[in-house]
Amino acid sequence: MTTMPVLSIIVLTPALAGVLIALAGRGPHVPRAIAAAAGTICLCACAWVYATYDRAAAGLQFIESVEWIPSLGISYALGVDGISVPMLLLMGIVMFTGVLASWDITERPREFFALLMLLVTGVFGVFAATDAFLLFFFYEMAVVPMYLLIAVWGSTRKDYSAMKLTLFLFAGSAALLIALVLIYWQAGAGTFDLVTWAQTAFPPEFQRWAFLLTFVGFGALVPIFPLHTWSPDGHVAAPTAVSMMHAGVLLKLGAYGIIRLGVAVFPDGLSNWASLIAVIGAINVVYGAFCAMNQADLKYVIGYSSVSHMGYVLLGIAMMNRFGFEGAVFQMFAHGIMTALFFTLIGYVYESTHTRQIADISGLMRRTPLVAAAFIIASAASMGLPSTSGFVAELLVYLGILTRSPLLAAIVFTGVVVTAAYLLRMLGSILLGEASPAVADLEDPRPVRLAPMLILAATIMVVGIAPATMYETIRSATGPLLILVTGG
Amino acid sequence: MTAPADIVRLLAPELIVALTGALVIVIDLLRPQVQNAPRTRPGVAYVGIAGLGVAGGFVVSLAGERGDLFEGLVLLDPFSTFFKLLFIAIAMIVLLVAVDPLPRFTRWPAEFHALIIWCTLGHMLLAAAGELFTIFLALQLTSLPLIALIGYAKRDARSGEASLKYLLLVLVSTAVLLYGMTLIYGSLGTSTISEIGERLAGQSTIQPVLALGLVLLLTGFAFKITAVPFHYWVPDVYQGAPTPVTAFLSVASKFAGFALALRIIVTGLRVPLDWSLIFGVMAVLSMTLGNLAAIRQTEMKRMLAYSGIAQAGYLLVGLAALSERGVASLLFYVVAYGLSNLAAFTSVIVIEQATGSTRIEDYAGVSSRAPLIALCLTISLLSLAGLPLMAGFMAKFDVFLAAAETGLAWVIAIGVVNSVISLYYYLRVVWQLYVSPSCRDEARIPVQVRPGVALAVCTVGVIVIGVLPEPVMRLTEHAASALFGG
Repeated sequence: MTTMPVLSIIVLTPALAGVLIALAGRGPHVPRAIAAAAGTICLCACAWVYATYDRAAAGLQFIESVEWIPSLGISYALGVDGISVPMLLLMGIVMFTGVLASWDITERPREFFALLMLLVTGVFGVFAATDAFLLFFFYEMAVVPMYLLIAVWGSTRKDYSAMKLTLFLFAGSAALLIALVLIYWQAGAGTFDLVTWAQTAFPPEFQRWAFLLTFVGFGALVPIFPLHTWSPDGHVAAPTAVSMMHAGVLLKLGAYGIIRLGVAVFPDGLSNWASLIAVIGAINVVYGAFCAMNQADLKYVIGYSSVSHMGYVLLGIAMMNRFGFEGAVFQMFAHGIMTALFFTLIGYVYESTHTRQIADISGLMRRTPLVAAAFIIASAASMGLPSTSGFVAELLVYLGILTRSPLLAAIVFTGVVVTAAYLLRMLGSILLGEASPAVADLEDPRPVRLAPMLILAATIMVVGIAPATMYETIRSATGPLLILVTGG
Repeated sequence: MTAPADIVRLLAPELIVALTGALVIVIDLLRPQVQNAPRTRPGVAYVGIAGLGVAGGFVVSLAGERGDLFEGLVLLDPFSTFFKLLFIAIAMIVLLVAVDPLPRFTRWPAEFHALIIWCTLGHMLLAAAGELFTIFLALQLTSLPLIALIGYAKRDARSGEASLKYLLLVLVSTAVLLYGMTLIYGSLGTSTISEIGERLAGQSTIQPVLALGLVLLLTGFAFKITAVPFHYWVPDVYQGAPTPVTAFLSVASKFAGFALALRIIVTGLRVPLDWSLIFGVMAVLSMTLGNLAAIRQTEMKRMLAYSGIAQAGYLLVGLAALSERGVASLLFYVVAYGLSNLAAFTSVIVIEQATGSTRIEDYAGVSSRAPLIALCLTISLLSLAGLPLMAGFMAKFDVFLAAAETGLAWVIAIGVVNSVISLYYYLRVVWQLYVSPSCRDEARIPVQVRPGVALAVCTVGVIVIGVLPEPVMRLTEHAASALFGG
């Protein structure tokens, strides 16, 4: 083992970069260079964690712990297990590609990149924290910059969407705060350490309500039906990099929180509410897919498809079996990469055409075959076609559902059919045919804009074709979790 | 009996503050007067700040000592030390901030500074008072300067109106308070708070007369801490008063009320009444009404007035917990709120100085006209809303954690919902600062050095306490344990 605080490097590098950017000049060059440097450092560190994580040994690794607020029993405690490692890698990739995708931002670039770095610190912090208070602290820190990022740099109804998003997410975190302070006293250990909490046997009645609070609190971010309405609006209004992080990673914060604080600490709570979660998950999948079918704006299509795909995560958790848990985490990773790719592509097309209406765009295949190819790869992952990461994830979730309830599997499967329908319709409309006037000026992207598309598309294919490493990583954490939930 | 020399030594901070006020006026009189020339007089303000600083030094040097003077009329303990330092720090910041805007509304800056300093003396005595009639005198010492300060902008009709309103309020609350005190003295035969506590401790039931006395006493304080339903005076007075006075009023005066309430409730009122419920209800009402009313405001000072009512609600949560941890969390909240609110008001003052307006819609485009002011105002407002990295987040969490220990889940639930509501109106100001397209004036807003320094100190304080709260938490725990006899 090394003594290098690699997790602190991952969490604090963006924060430091943010401060440096805030002190930098007004032009776009210095801020984006600093952001790209931070992105490179974080991506390398995340990849290193992913590569050196010991899959044979379960439990937390790369542990760091410093007393932070001893008066309240709060520590700056970091550590990762098989669920957080893929999430860190996901965030590393999305951060790096997100910075590249924002390369051409000209409006107040200094403020943009500084806020973006603050957001990134918050997200990394949530995935690395093993102290409940620290996790909550980072969680809120990730939400704060969202408001300004959307309200200042966004498009389509940005004021409304930014405020709606912020209020929804803070309503969720209000529920979390209640849960945290109640759990603290119920646990009676004078600590916010999540490992200690997970080992505490809470009374079943308390577990029920505390789990519900955390589920609703984090669920607002997943987003669970019926708290999902902020999400498509937010995706659409946000600037490209924020959409990527938002759909790609922020939604996973919610699911991650449900697993880390809800499932691991209150296993009885999960078994109590499992059927409710399954129903909500099924509604997310099917309802989200039908909503996506009905959209004319590309970003809205992907926004609702996120609602739909996150339903699989909920379903996986609710199945409380091996494949379900593994599928849920795998889907978090797979969906993060595929939506990030979608939003990069849509952002690129929008910058040049100034439209996202499906009806106005056609013939992308002729104008820019590279972008068109990337669209196809992202859609293939979204439809769950073999050789993409989406296939592995959905396969695992469906295996989980089938062992539990074939009927539910049949109902949810309509989601797959509808997903294929809206994606094929979308692809057919924007890729094929003659180039429409709107895309007349569209060209193949420059290397700096092409790089994020390549990285994300390659990740989809690599994880889809050779999923073993990712699978083993996830399994090292979901195995012990399952024992906790099913009681052995 | 304490020897006279000892009395002087132990009361040194108060004596220095009293003399500083006089010194400020004398120095100003000795200087040649220039007729009809609006001028800044930083010199006298610096004398005042220096005097307060020396007094603060003496408070720190006496921090280790405990005891009482004049048979328990004035107490010296970590609790009073904490508040004395707080009041001195607030007064120093307000003096510094007030120098530049003063010529806009008065030709007599020295008296303004002196009144702030004497009012601070009253606040310090309130924090140290251990007996009902000392409390009464100290309260008068705070109220009289405040009446004058609120009406200091003689040419502004709203300032005069606010002053009159505050005068009436002081009269009513004083009458109520005094009546309550006499009833308590009449039934228990003592006016020393600790003795009241001892005599009440043995009783299992409470006489109606005594109960009435207690209720009247608390009503008197409730005006000062601006808790619902005793908040009606707040918006008009805050809006009408000169902005530096509003800043002073919104922190120092409110905290003095809390210092007093804590002392009396924790050491004095050991009666079989459900204080938790009473303060819990007051807290919930203050938060909810304050926040709902703040949403509708279009004027910054009025909005901050309602936000202050809501913040009083969060402070009351710490009181409702009725535990050492609850009091400690309240004191921590006081520090966090004080810094955030002073930063917010200083930003308001700077912007008002340049634009002459305190309307929220006139804040459009400030982010490009004065980027640092916009940043500081945003940080302070987000701190008031309770977002992380800022002191307000730690303070809210601390207060709720303490309330959870006592099982006040309902208060917490309403409290956190209220934070979400408050976020809406704080963010609306941020929206004006950064997003609003309706920027009419492009000229840069000049930032003077003095308010700039005050703003920097407060904002940095907000962030430092928000990230590293431990040292301040240690202090507040120490002060709180002193109150509980530890």
